[in-house]
Amino acid sequence: MLTYEKIFDAIFISLQVSVISTILSFFLSIIFSYIIAINNFTLKRTIIAFIGSLTSIPPVCAGLIVYLLISRSGPLGWMEILYTPSAMIIAQFLIIFPIMTTLFVNYIQDEYPRFSEELTSYGASKRDLIYLLIKNKRTIYMTVLLIGFGRAISEYGAAAIVGGSIDQVTRNMTSMIALETSKGNVLTGVILGIVLILLSLIISFIINILKKKND
Amino acid sequence: MKVIKYIFIFIFITSSELFSREYLVVQSTTSTVNTGLLDMLSNYFQKETGIEVRTIAVGTGTAISNAKNGDGDVLLVHSKLDELKFVEDGYGVERYELMYNDFIFVGPHDDPAKISNAKNIKDVMKIINFSKFKFISRDDNSGTHKKELSLWKNNNLSLPDHKNYIRTGTGMANTLNIASEMQAYTFTDRGTWISFPNKKDLKILYENDESLHNPYGIIAVSPKKFPHVEYEKSLKFIEWLTQGKGKDLIKSFEIDGERLFFVNE
Repeated sequence: MLTYEKIFDAIFISLQVSVISTILSFFLSIIFSYIIAINNFTLKRTIIAFIGSLTSIPPVCAGLIVYLLISRSGPLGWMEILYTPSAMIIAQFLIIFPIMTTLFVNYIQDEYPRFSEELTSYGASKRDLIYLLIKNKRTIYMTVLLIGFGRAISEYGAAAIVGGSIDQVTRNMTSMIALETSKGNVLTGVILGIVLILLSLIISFIINILKKKND
Repeated sequence: MKVIKYIFIFIFITSSELFSREYLVVQSTTSTVNTGLLDMLSNYFQKETGIEVRTIAVGTGTAISNAKNGDGDVLLVHSKLDELKFVEDGYGVERYELMYNDFIFVGPHDDPAKISNAKNIKDVMKIINFSKFKFISRDDNSGTHKKELSLWKNNNLSLPDHKNYIRTGTGMANTLNIASEMQAYTFTDRGTWISFPNKKDLKILYENDESLHNPYGIIAVSPKKFPHVEYEKSLKFIEWLTQGKGKDLIKSFEIDGERLFFVNE
């Protein structure tokens, strides 16, 4: 009943969903974190603290929130995206966006003051500063990107709730492992588990290599 | 606001299936999906008509509440009273009998509570209630759980409240796994049992009782209640299953030489 084709489908769906959600979250969190880290405004600390607390949002809760929003009886029901990969992307976005934003905000708050004092005296504009900040510490951005991706691809719960674990459409690796194990097909679960662990290992190796380069 | 607009555009672009909905969403139970029946049926249906069928495998209770939220085109579950109420409340158009099998009691090989000696279903329920041997209940509002509850009620017994009445709150196959590990009794539909690969530490202890009939019904979600449902396609699917080729496929569906579902001739 279970073919290699289905396993490859699950791997492909996992990668597709996680890559898109990570890239989406990556760019938006960079923009967002620069806005809140550089500017001074009221409630700045509260917003940063709030996003920081969202970093530990349990995936099932993120899934539930997205489910309530995009269900037919929810406010975004007209979009018809429940039980599609798009829904999974949104749910994963909700999980990793706070993580990436918090990491970026910390980094920018550390680096920006040092840069700005020195360079504004040479006549650099805000835009030049941001450009230099991004260019100089490229590896930090890579690390944050991979942390986000690792969290997205290994998450179980959110994607399962809003994706519905539909065969060959929204059944990613983690939901397939849960399903096959609960059906008693432990061996399939183990095979998929190994693939997932290998992927996570590769990701953490890349992070480590990048960190060394950065030091 | 511009950023939000771009997010939506991006999501729209990345999911091509958003624009054309050439598929049906079937809210169904774990017993029809995890046995592989619905997979097989939807493959054939897609080959014949080009309509893709996407199945969501949850418990009957969850499937019904999902369908009541409008998150599905077809409901295929096994809890007749709830199905009739679903239609009565205007959420569904009409209930069709699709197929049936039966429920069974399974437990450890040595059968410490001697359920296999029971004369009738009332005996079985009494033994489980008073013997205090481990019994596992689904406790997830699924069709099987609802059936178990109705068995307690119809035999004038209250739910056991000792600590050996274990509530798992998960799917049928998973519950069978737990029963196997704990050497406990449990109540299951025959389809899941036959397709369950890990049954070596469990066996059937009580079966073939009239009160353990397990009919599956199929209902198209009402287009009056939810204008977005694919009603025409749903009807086509239901007709194909109840009168067309689907019926023969259900009849011929076997695992290890055993038939899982039967249809009314």
